Amino acid sequence: MNQICIVCVDDEPEVLEAVERDLSQFDDHFPLESASSAKEARQLCEALHASGDQVGLLLCDHLMPGETGVELLISLHELPSACHARRVLLTGQASQADTIDALNLGGLDYYIAKPWEGKELQDVVRDQLTTFVIEHSKEPATFMSVLDAVKIAEHLHRTSGFTDH
Amino acid sequence: MKSEQTSPSFFQSVILKNLKWIGLALGLLGLVLPSLLSPEGLSPAGVRALGIFLMAAIFWMTEPVPIYATSLLVILLQVLLLSDVSLFKFETDTELPKYREFYAALANPIIILFLGGFSLASAAVKFGLDRNLTRILLRPFGNKPANIALGLMLATAVLSAFMSNTATTAMMMTVILPVVAVMDPKDPFRKALALSVPFAANLGGVATPIGTPPNAIALAALNQTGMRISFTTWMILAVPIVAVMLFIGWRVLLKLFPPASERLTLNLEGQFSRSPLALVTYTVFGLTVLLWVTEKLHGIPASVVAFLPVALLPALSVLDKKEIRNFPWEVLWLVAGGISIGASIKATGLADWMLTRVPIGSLGATGAIICFGILGFIVANLVSNTVTASILVPLVVGFALTDGLGTSEVAQGVVLVGVIVSFSMMLPISTPPNAIAMSSGLIETADMARAGLIIGLIGVFLVAVCAFFYWPMIL
Repeated sequence: MNQICIVCVDDEPEVLEAVERDLSQFDDHFPLESASSAKEARQLCEALHASGDQVGLLLCDHLMPGETGVELLISLHELPSACHARRVLLTGQASQADTIDALNLGGLDYYIAKPWEGKELQDVVRDQLTTFVIEHSKEPATFMSVLDAVKIAEHLHRTSGFTDH
Repeated sequence: MKSEQTSPSFFQSVILKNLKWIGLALGLLGLVLPSLLSPEGLSPAGVRALGIFLMAAIFWMTEPVPIYATSLLVILLQVLLLSDVSLFKFETDTELPKYREFYAALANPIIILFLGGFSLASAAVKFGLDRNLTRILLRPFGNKPANIALGLMLATAVLSAFMSNTATTAMMMTVILPVVAVMDPKDPFRKALALSVPFAANLGGVATPIGTPPNAIALAALNQTGMRISFTTWMILAVPIVAVMLFIGWRVLLKLFPPASERLTLNLEGQFSRSPLALVTYTVFGLTVLLWVTEKLHGIPASVVAFLPVALLPALSVLDKKEIRNFPWEVLWLVAGGISIGASIKATGLADWMLTRVPIGSLGATGAIICFGILGFIVANLVSNTVTASILVPLVVGFALTDGLGTSEVAQGVVLVGVIVSFSMMLPISTPPNAIAMSSGLIETADMARAGLIIGLIGVFLVAVCAFFYWPMIL
């Protein structure tokens, strides 16, 4: 209930496993959910919505059987649980046209080329989730220990989102 | 096997899980119970005020609704049950208060004082005044870890005396987190830094009337008894205590979490904005603070001065409507509810009635006031400081007046409780600054509890000593 999840979409189980390993440090605060296709990802998002959770970050591959990752990103605008999610492409094979679509229509926030470095992925995820909790969480302070604490503290300071009582 | 689970801890967890519902039920029961029992010796208005007080106290402590919502419910119930437009009329020999008087709590001069504080703080944050002042305040402290901790605590306390403790903590966290990040993870001093900021913010809030909301509750209660304490007088009462407590807090943190490294470097880059609006902000800020701290010399009440920034900053387009909407209005509501319930408790004779039924008289005035202080310390560690003050301050006033003490003794008791609740900083839930520091992940609850207990107990002792030996010289 009321959790912010990371959803990772890739047709290769090895990639999902590697991402899970790299992002294990976020698991206590942001449970990682995996899907092997765009369709499954959408079902997952709907299930999360039904249980009152939301997607904070969608990490997806581009070339997959069936729908592509970019098509998935574009369709996410319609999903209440995922419309605010930060969107990251993790792929080696997106063409220039696809990438342009991802940026202009899919609201892409970051592009990571495969193969990726664990540290790079962690930094991107930390940064994107920080932006997400600042914009969409009622209590961003609770995430200071796993995310960018300085940015969150700055936000609290600027907005007096947290008051004396 | 099943029966093994029905241990006390099972019941405890059920109670904790359903605390809000239990609180809701108990609070509503508290509201109607006095009317059902109609206690002997209590006026009809007092019976209703007792119901509202019980409901408010239970709601504030168990939070079935947010604490500021409870405060607004208090005002609503007062209008509906205690005013001249009361829905349920009752026999009374005295005239009922006008409903406007209850709404007036929302514009009490103390509320206006805080509104002035919000305007100044909002403008200061907008132009980075607080951050730049921090840079200047920290500069003389060099790079020895112990000195840096002292500098951080002083800077935090000075800012939190005029701005919200929470906003100050958030800002100071942005100063210390980059330093902590490059320190050896095993260096215990990381914890000293992470605790120094919220502790100094909690302590610094005591220094001026606008430092933190419990001060407002105390001052408003004194105003209702006809005693006015000027901004200057409050500072003369409180600043020495804050200064000593900052020093003690610093020593305690150094003792508990000694630095392992020889030197630390704070990034103090940055410069004052020189834009015309920034200069206006500095001027209004400086002028308001100057007029506040010199109230005793010119006699213009602090709440009158407070309206200067409220009116001038929007007029000079330093603050626009977006920033005005972003004021923490719910803090004003919270304080207004506290002021309003306090007024009713006193006006309906409820306070006198309650205190004749509590065997507190046998303790004597000094003993009773100290008991209230200790109770305040304990309760404020668990629930909001403002709420604790809202519940205890009217009782202290009632007690002191019934006992036939002079106004300066009333003031001693009220200010003592108002100050002590700010020294409750053992747990992450004790104050919002504690919660922010805890969220950084640098400290464990046990670290906070240990340091907070030592500093808190010394604080309670020091306040008690000052209340009986130092304050009477001034009040």
